[in-house]
Amino acid sequence: MSEPAAGPVVDTGVAGKYIQYGDHIDTLETVDTVFKEQRKLSFAYGALFFGVTLAIPALTVWVEGWYAVPIWGGFTWNYLVVSLLYFAFLWIMAWVYAKQADRLDEKLAHMADAAAAELKSGGGVS
Amino acid sequence: MNTIAIVLVVGLVLFTIALSIFSRRFTRTTADFYLAGRKVGSFSNASAISGDYLSAASFLGVAGAVYASGLDGVWYAAGFAGGFMVVVLFIASALRRFGEYTVADFAFGRFGTNRIRLVTVTSVLLVSLFYMAPQMFGAGTTWKILVGTGFFPADANGLFLGVDPVYLSGVTVVTAIMMFYVAMGGMKGTTLNQIFQFWLLMTAMILVVVFAFGHGFGYPSALAKAASGADVNKEAVGKLVGTKTMTVADLTKVDPKSGKAPIEAAKATMSPESFAKVEEAVAAGDETAKVDVLLPQKNKLHEMRDMLFTEPGHRYNAFDQFSMVLALVLGTAGLPHILNRYYTNPSGSAARRSTFWVLVFIGVFYILAPIAGLAGREAIAKAAAAGTAPPNAALVDGILVKSDALMPTIAQVIGGQWLMGIVAAGAFAAMFSTIGGLLIASASAIGHDVYEKYINPNASEARRVFVGKTSVIGFAALAWTLGWAIPYFGLDKAYPALIAMMVTWAFAVGASAFVPMLLTGIWWRGTTEHGAMWGMLVGLISSIGIIFMNIFQQLKIPAFAADQGFIGFLASLTFPVLFTFPLALLTIYVVSKVNPKLPENVDAIWMRIHGTAHERYEAQHGLDKVGSMFGGGSK
Repeated sequence: MSEPAAGPVVDTGVAGKYIQYGDHIDTLETVDTVFKEQRKLSFAYGALFFGVTLAIPALTVWVEGWYAVPIWGGFTWNYLVVSLLYFAFLWIMAWVYAKQADRLDEKLAHMADAAAAELKSGGGVS
Repeated sequence: MNTIAIVLVVGLVLFTIALSIFSRRFTRTTADFYLAGRKVGSFSNASAISGDYLSAASFLGVAGAVYASGLDGVWYAAGFAGGFMVVVLFIASALRRFGEYTVADFAFGRFGTNRIRLVTVTSVLLVSLFYMAPQMFGAGTTWKILVGTGFFPADANGLFLGVDPVYLSGVTVVTAIMMFYVAMGGMKGTTLNQIFQFWLLMTAMILVVVFAFGHGFGYPSALAKAASGADVNKEAVGKLVGTKTMTVADLTKVDPKSGKAPIEAAKATMSPESFAKVEEAVAAGDETAKVDVLLPQKNKLHEMRDMLFTEPGHRYNAFDQFSMVLALVLGTAGLPHILNRYYTNPSGSAARRSTFWVLVFIGVFYILAPIAGLAGREAIAKAAAAGTAPPNAALVDGILVKSDALMPTIAQVIGGQWLMGIVAAGAFAAMFSTIGGLLIASASAIGHDVYEKYINPNASEARRVFVGKTSVIGFAALAWTLGWAIPYFGLDKAYPALIAMMVTWAFAVGASAFVPMLLTGIWWRGTTEHGAMWGMLVGLISSIGIIFMNIFQQLKIPAFAADQGFIGFLASLTFPVLFTFPLALLTIYVVSKVNPKLPENVDAIWMRIHGTAHERYEAQHGLDKVGSMFGGGSK
């Protein structure tokens, strides 16, 4: 199967600029809408990730009950979190984020299909 | 080294070479050589990325760090795993969607000038060299621990080319194998090998932990024992004790502040039998003679508290508790050999899935490694007390003198020769997989980013692949030189935990040079070529500058001493990323605002990074299928 030829970026005057691969089109407008949602998603998760990751050393430095009091055998909260629970946090977060990001991709696909249909009906794309 | 270990390591080498020869048949184009044809599935790619990431420093070093330092070693492991969250959240899918070969391609495609490509290539090479250095040093020292014999002749001082001939033999063997298999198999061969090598090292780690539990290890109870110090030394209850190799002069030198010499602390900590050997060495009168002693450890974080295994502070003070984790978390996204692997995914979504699986794989690894480290404390001490410890393990009162030897030693203690053999093969697998990834990344920087773009853009596919292979050989030679230079210039004596330190340097340089450029290039449309270029240069130069200042301070050059004001403070930074990353980010922002000229085709670039038309087209035509590394797309 031959490689698809990417369409050039063209200012159609209808829906702004677009990029085309075969029948599939992204317009600047649709990409920008999804980009903003993607940015919101990534930065919200990023804030949670850095918040938790930096909270661990903060507690380690300043909270004695965190690092010095055994809660289960020799486990302190500090040891339990960094040896086990932090990893579970990373896995859950990565899984949920990947699913949500996939849904955003689907949203872009639907928006792009609608924009492509509009462009075609307007004669913007051959 | 035992016979079983030799057989298993030789088997690993032969299998590696066979896999490379097998993959050679399927490496015809540059996309095959550098990117495995962009057809690597999420699970396979995640295995390969994990193999790429988990070097000998992780396989031997993390368990050793926990064994020696307790909680701070565990925190070090958690930092390594956290790095991939930055990759999945901010970088993975965008980088893949851009659809190029290398990080330098991204910089060129995003910002549109040759000079930014060249700055990126230079940064890739420097970061790769920084990461290659500890791998080669690890190769030599692991060879010494696991094989213990070499083939270079020793001179009158017991050296060859100014270094230990056994160590240099290890560096040479690993370099030769890597050079052969990467040049032969390209990215396909390297990917297949990394998948196999990752699962081998993972199996070795799992087996060590399973055997530990089989020997009665209980996590909470073992931790309770370790916290009280009763696991290794009943005389030092309540305190973490550790070994140190010192000269007689240093051991007997009185500290003006405390009015005591270290030998007094050693006497109070060590058993009478062990301390008798120390006294014997002191009585012999040779000030330069080295002795291994056991000392109580200091708490760098909470100085008024005793240092316990389960408490923080053995390695990191308050500043380093933060800066270490930031260096590892941000640095992962700045390692070129890891980033290049994202181009081998068939889609942006697959890149995210790959990263999720990487987090699972390396997460499991970094949960297990601290268990091995903890289990080793009691198991090895018990074996030493019973007189059944391996004779090649250097111990003081049941504690290993070199914590990097923990994995082979505990394997031998709890699983005998077979488990030790599997661990030896796992350690070499860890080395091979990481060095392979670094060689491919370095070769692509020269072969693809420089030769194909500037020297001979019209070269045939065969010629391009040939140049790629030649670059691999060139970099392998450079890697060997680094492996030789580290002990030759005495760097191994300046830093007690050199491998871990050098790995952190590579993370710091990558985090400072690439990550600000990647983050702003992907997420801020207003990033200009000027801003990105200056940001990269500032990040690169400032991080390397501070690292060298730190080296000069450790080598006791007066101008960089800790009391030399601001210079002394900068030189004392173990993890410069806390300063250099924001500095690079700020540079990009300020320069982009001052000179806000964007590339003319910025809209097209933006749609290429964040749009999915290309992926939808590929999905429609079945071009996104995986599992076809050996030919056409599978249905």
